[in-house]
Parts: sequence; structure tokens; C-alpha cells
Amino acid sequence: MNPSSIPALDTPESLPFDLMRVPGLGHLFRWRYARPLLQTPLLILSLVMIGHGLFGPTLAPKNLATTLSWLHFRGVLVLVLLCAGNFFCLACPFMLVRQAARRFFKPRFNWPRALRNKWFSIALFVLILFTYELFDLWSSPWWTAWLIVAYFLSVLVVDGFFKHASFCKFVCPIGQFNFVASTLSPFEVKVREQNVCTRCHTKDCIRGRREPVSDLVTIRGCELALFLPSKVGNMDCTFCLDCVHACPHDNIGILSRLPASELMLDPIRSGIGYFSRRKDLAALAIVFTFGALLNAFGMVSPVYAVEIWLGRMLHVRHETPVLGLIFTFFLIVEPVLLVGLAAWLTRAWAGSPRAVLPLAVRYTYGLVPLGFGMWLAHYCFHFLTGLYTLIPVTQNAIASLGRPFLGQPRWNLTGLPANVVQVVEIGLLALGFAGSLLVTYSLAEDDSPDKPLRAFLPWAAVCLILWCASLWLMLQPMEMRATMMSG
Amino acid sequence: MFEHFRQQELARRLAGFFCAATLLSVGCSRPVESLPLVAIEHEISPQPPRVGPSTVTLRLADATGRPLTGARIAIETDMSHAGMSPGFAEAKEAETGRYKAQLEFQMPGDWVILLHVTLPDGTKLERQIDVRGVRPGAQSN
Repeated sequence: MNPSSIPALDTPESLPFDLMRVPGLGHLFRWRYARPLLQTPLLILSLVMIGHGLFGPTLAPKNLATTLSWLHFRGVLVLVLLCAGNFFCLACPFMLVRQAARRFFKPRFNWPRALRNKWFSIALFVLILFTYELFDLWSSPWWTAWLIVAYFLSVLVVDGFFKHASFCKFVCPIGQFNFVASTLSPFEVKVREQNVCTRCHTKDCIRGRREPVSDLVTIRGCELALFLPSKVGNMDCTFCLDCVHACPHDNIGILSRLPASELMLDPIRSGIGYFSRRKDLAALAIVFTFGALLNAFGMVSPVYAVEIWLGRMLHVRHETPVLGLIFTFFLIVEPVLLVGLAAWLTRAWAGSPRAVLPLAVRYTYGLVPLGFGMWLAHYCFHFLTGLYTLIPVTQNAIASLGRPFLGQPRWNLTGLPANVVQVVEIGLLALGFAGSLLVTYSLAEDDSPDKPLRAFLPWAAVCLILWCASLWLMLQPMEMRATMMSG
Repeated sequence: MFEHFRQQELARRLAGFFCAATLLSVGCSRPVESLPLVAIEHEISPQPPRVGPSTVTLRLADATGRPLTGARIAIETDMSHAGMSPGFAEAKEAETGRYKAQLEFQMPGDWVILLHVTLPDGTKLERQIDVRGVRPGAQSN
């Protein structure tokens, strides 16, 4: 490479790409009402889904609630996280309702100190995965609609009583999923120049912009307690852009970065602390990663054989205890064995000074790319193979209102062929595997500079095992059944 | 004292939310369908159902048990989850009151067969048959 073509530091060429500098897009994001503008269509869509789920066709393939929730929403969500960032939280319709409610009910309480961590939201995340399998939410427009209603009610209850963004930070399972996945996104809300923040005395990005005399907040600061000058990465960032609007120096952008780079570092992070000391965050990463395999396992044929076998062994006909055992194995036993063994081997071979548990916590974040690869492969399978089904379902919904102006439903429209989508799935899994290897090697280099390979090998083995399991799962015939225990 | 008022307010708000949720759930209950006047028995072969071609046999009888002839039966097959296109078929009367149709289960899992029946007097009926756990066929991977 010609040395003259390498951009010098601190020149515009060396600065990251900033979405806020894109004409049109930047203006939109800087506009104070950008968020409500993006939230309103999703709120209308949510209301349509609730209405159709409760009063529309009872068959999932013909209902907008199930089609949009379990095919299109999930697919678009993971693809936007992969290609851009946590833009779903930016356009979250639940927050629009919350904002409207807060005009009438001002929250007075602080979120309880004992719950200021991720344990409660992890429990809810697992609960949603469990109820999804137990009650076959994918096949029930009725329950899908009620799930959306429950979400709205939960937001109103939690943020009706508790100040700031308590629901987003400590409760919302979708938010936690987005926070973990967005550690792999190519964009991050970040300050452009640190020295501008050093000179800033008002700290509006966290305190909010205030009226000079009354000290009333006119533009909110970060409700998730992320102080922008010391914010690192996307964890806990909802991309709400409150900080962008509050900053008097226009010093906050949506900057490009190396995906997963925040997982390779362990600096102190505003609002979070050190990743390596946060057992709850590591547990969230575990549930995110192993839950991805578990969620996919629930839709392939072998799960039924396992359930029947377990049912016979335990002499039970009801699905709950059997499913409970499968969840316990996938989310507790398997991670403890794999991660625990890898941490022990790292300590023994590489002579790491850390104890086994801190080592396990530190390296667990390296498994997140694999987990995201699995979520991507799974959700993209449903999204792409059922891509066009939204058309006939919408046509049918409109026709049922007596005005078929979109024509009669074209039920022959489905999506991309499964064999084409399978190639995409394998590519996404490979991407996740490569990402995990890179992150764990980087952690090993940082942790054991003398023997990085020895520290890395046990984690590479864990990544390989999980990747092989993911590949095997994706190559299984899909089989979605409600009656697992019927044999 | 102040804490006591706070707790009372918390309890009041919680009670309000739960009352609203209960009212909403009661208001959205489904209407109960009327009892059928036509009995429809079905049989699917092979048993257990497998991916691939299948035959459904339907026996139609009136309220007194007499076979119903001359009915038109349009059949629609759907999977229980979103993302699949439905299949369509027409059942032919093979014997008096006995109708047969060829179906295709495209993948393993739960299926639903919807019957759109038109009786000779023009009366229209809809029936749903749940086909649980269609097994992988010989040709599925």
C-alpha cells in the first residue's frame, strides 16, 4: 500500500463513519420528534396485531399477530441489529405509550436497589422462552395478542411507578436481547471528540438540558444512566438519542466501529462497571447463547423423541416437568459444564492468576457472537422462507373487512426456497463462529500474554462444540408440534 | 407517615391496573359456536400421518344419522404456524355420504384441515380437523 494513501490520525478520513452526518438521516435523528415519528407506525402495527390476534382468524398462518410477530418482526430485528444497531429500541412502540401515560402519572419511586441488575430480566427472558414452547405461542394468535397486551401493561405498570427507564434497563426481555446482540452491531452512539466533553461543565447528556432559572428539565438526559464520555459500547443503550438532543455541543454521533470490539475489552463502563465483574451480565450472555440453541432445538424433530423418552423415564404425561428438565439442562447444566471446564483448563494450562469463576465470567462474553449467529440463522430461516406470506395475510385481513381493495389473498406466495435459505443460515453460523474465535483469542491474548494459545484452546473447543451443535440443529427437519407428549 | 401514603398510592395504582386488565380480558372472550346439525367423521391414511401424499375420507350424516349425499367439500390444509402456504383440494363422493380427497402434507408437525362444505340445499358449513404430529416421511431429510 502506498503510504500516502494511509489517512493520518485526526484527519476527517481517519474518523469513523457517522450516521448523524448523512444528509437527511442526520437531520431526522437530530429532530426532537424523530423518536415519536418512528414509534407511531410501530404502535399502529401493534394495535392492528392485537386486534387481529383477538378477533381475526384463529389459524396462525392467516393471522397478522402470529405472522408479523414470529416471522417478520424477529427476522427484521436481528438483521437490523447485525447491519446497523439497536434501532428497534429507538422505535419501540411501548415507550410511546409510556411517554403518553407519564403526562398523567409521574413516577415517584426509584427502582429497588436489590433489583438494579439483570437477574430479574434474565428470569423473564427464560420465562418467555419457556412459555413459547409450553403454550406454543407461535401457533396461537390469541396468546400472541395477549403477549403484546401484557407487554404494554407491564411497561405502564413499571414505568408508571418507577422513575427513569427502569423497564428498559431492568425488566424488558426484548431489550436485554437487543443489548446483548447490539454488542455485535457496526454502529454505536458515542461522543465524537472527548476533549469537547472534558471542557463541558453542564453534562446535559446525563442530567438533561435545563431551564436556567427554574432548573426544570426541558430535554431529557440518558435515562439508562449512561454518561456519554465514559460510555463504552452498546450495552444498555436504547439508541433513544436523548443524549444527542441534550448535548449543547452537537458532539454525539452514531459512529461506525468494529463489531464485537466492545467484547474484547474490559474497561470500566458508565452505568455498567466492568464486564468481568458482572456475573448477571455473564449469565445474560449465557442465556442468550445457549438459549439460541434451545429455542432452535424446540422446532426440530429430535426434541419430540427426547421429550417422549424423558416422559417415560419419569413416568409423566404432562409437558411442564419434561420441558423444565430440558431447560435446566440447556441453560444451567450444559453451560456450567462447558464454561466451567474451559475456565478450569485455562487456569491450569495458561497459569492465569484469576480464579475459575472470574475467568468463566470474563470469557463467557466471547460466546455471544456464536449465540447471535444461531439467533440470526434461526430467525432468518423463518423470515426468509415465509417472507411473502405477509401479502396474502394482509389481503385476507382487509378482505374480511368487506373491502378487498388489495385483491383476493394470493396464498401461493410464501418465500425463498428452504435450500437457498439454508446456505444463508450456514453462512451466518460461520460468521458467529469466526466472531467467537476472534473475541476469545483477543481475551486470551489480553489475559495471558505469554501463553495466549493455551488460554484460548479450551474456549476454541467450547466454540467448536457449540458451532457443531448449531449446524446439526439447522440441518434437522423442522417440525413444529403442539403435542410433544402425545407420542 | 409519608412512606405510608406512598404505599397506599402504590396499592391503589396496582389495583387499578389489575381491574382494567381483568375487564379487558373478560371483554375479549370468544363467542361460543352453535351446535353442528351435520355430523362429519373423518379418517386419514396412512396412520400415523406422514409427510407426503395422504388420503382423507369424510362421512357426512344429518341429525338422524342418514348419509348426506351431493355435498360439495372444498378442503384447505394449513400448518399450525405462520410462514407456510396452504394446500387446496376438492373431496369427491366415492359412496353414498362418503367423500374422499388426496392431500399433501409438506412437512412434519401440526396440521389443520379446514372443510368448506356446501350442502345440496345451499347451506354452508365450516369444520376444522386438527392433525397433530405429522411424522417425517421417507423423502424428508
